[in-house]
Amino acid sequence: MNFIEINDRVEVITRFASHGDPAYMIMPVKMRWGKKEIAFTELGLRHPTTKGQRMVHVFDMSDGANDYRLEFDAEMLTWKLVTIIEGES
Amino acid sequence: MKTQRSQDLKWGHLPISREPAQIMHIDLNSAFAMTEQQARPSLRGKPLGMTNRISKNCCIIAASYEAKNRGVKVGMGLIEARQLVPELVLLETDPPKYLYVHQKLANIMKSYSPNVKMRSIDEGLIDFHGTRNIVNPRPLHEIALGIKARLKSELGHWIKVNIGIGQNRFLAKTAASLHKPDGLDTIDHTNLMEIYDSLELTDLPGIARHYKARLNSVDIFTPLDFLNASADTLRRLVFHGIVGDEWYQRLRGYEVDDEPTRLGQVGRQFALDKRTNKDEELLPRFHYLCETTGKKLRYNGADARSIVVWAGLATGERWHAKRTYKESFYTDKEIYARALKLFQARPRHTNLTIMGITCYNLTPTTRNQPSLFEEVNKQEWLTEAVDELNQRYGNFVIHSLNTLKGKHIVKQKIPFTGTKYLDLLFKDS
Repeated sequence: MNFIEINDRVEVITRFASHGDPAYMIMPVKMRWGKKEIAFTELGLRHPTTKGQRMVHVFDMSDGANDYRLEFDAEMLTWKLVTIIEGES
Repeated sequence: MKTQRSQDLKWGHLPISREPAQIMHIDLNSAFAMTEQQARPSLRGKPLGMTNRISKNCCIIAASYEAKNRGVKVGMGLIEARQLVPELVLLETDPPKYLYVHQKLANIMKSYSPNVKMRSIDEGLIDFHGTRNIVNPRPLHEIALGIKARLKSELGHWIKVNIGIGQNRFLAKTAASLHKPDGLDTIDHTNLMEIYDSLELTDLPGIARHYKARLNSVDIFTPLDFLNASADTLRRLVFHGIVGDEWYQRLRGYEVDDEPTRLGQVGRQFALDKRTNKDEELLPRFHYLCETTGKKLRYNGADARSIVVWAGLATGERWHAKRTYKESFYTDKEIYARALKLFQARPRHTNLTIMGITCYNLTPTTRNQPSLFEEVNKQEWLTEAVDELNQRYGNFVIHSLNTLKGKHIVKQKIPFTGTKYLDLLFKDS
């Protein structure tokens, strides 16, 4: 298992559901990181945290092979790919 | 009711309580590891260990069931854990994540009763007394299944909880530990003897090695022996005081653990990342401990009059120095000045392995009363201003220059035994 720190701004397409389990109402669907496009298959956990008074939502995502930690800054309205955990191939 | 119980206790006739079980204990077992497995699907089914800071000498503070099943225990050193499970995945804790899970659990629990007590970050209890007729008429077993379902819906399907229902807090917690990791059990007068018969003494919450040895010394070897022991035996021969009476009642399903606790002390400790006795290595870390202690003190609205500084030495010995002052104190500067004076008197012949500071003799704060002395007021205003800035921009955005190094090394630990500092400590941790 390999942990890689990234900390890059990324483009993300997000789905906002109108109903369903509260845990999965908001889900990043696809991410463009550099030239790579990654389609997510599972939202592990979303949790809010703060940086000073700035609200940041942390999304732990999976594409079925690797896990990704994404942060959405609710004040700056930006997405950041923080880490990748490479799964075992 | 309590008077009658005291009379019965005095004469040694207290029967097993026949009150309906109305206390529910909810326990997110292996909470940190399970939360990480929920968040990161690639970790599911793998042996996982959690630690505060990864280093060669770190210890496991939480383990997944996959790791526990192979012998990894909480408190075990990494080297020993890796000998048992070479492929153990080791992660550093992520406190905001666990705080979120804790808040979700607490919110769900509070929707059933106003009488909810979170005992730690991963467990709490609901007292259903007075809510059953109108708010919660369903059987508690059904309510418990509903809580399990809501947790899965709000956090994810990997989240599992143990739920125990009992006549008092002790029996509810015992019930919650019967079928981990996704248990649901009730203990009341109908099955109390049967459950006790299936357990070891150390399976009972609150009975560890030392109490077990004391019980064994008076021929109490099983929970049933414990139940059948007289109040007099427990009071005089085993626990040497009122604690024996409390155990006599607790085992029979009577509530003795609902007294509110009083804040007696606040402090911080740090197991050193490297063994040393050099001022330049220790003081940044020590100063940081003093500042976090001050933060806790002010968060509790308390002033302290006494301070104790202690350390563990590489020789295995312990050292401490303490002092009580006439005037109470609460600012970081006052705490550090007093603590430093004591710390400088530490033994110098060997390295330290751990150090800590505790403030006690706590009283409600007097900080709203301006002093006659301008210098004192200035110090108080400065502390207030720094606290306010840190609250707005994140903990330790403003701090003493000396603590800069310590801040990066001394990581915020997760308090296991209480929840009163969670909001304060997890900001930006």
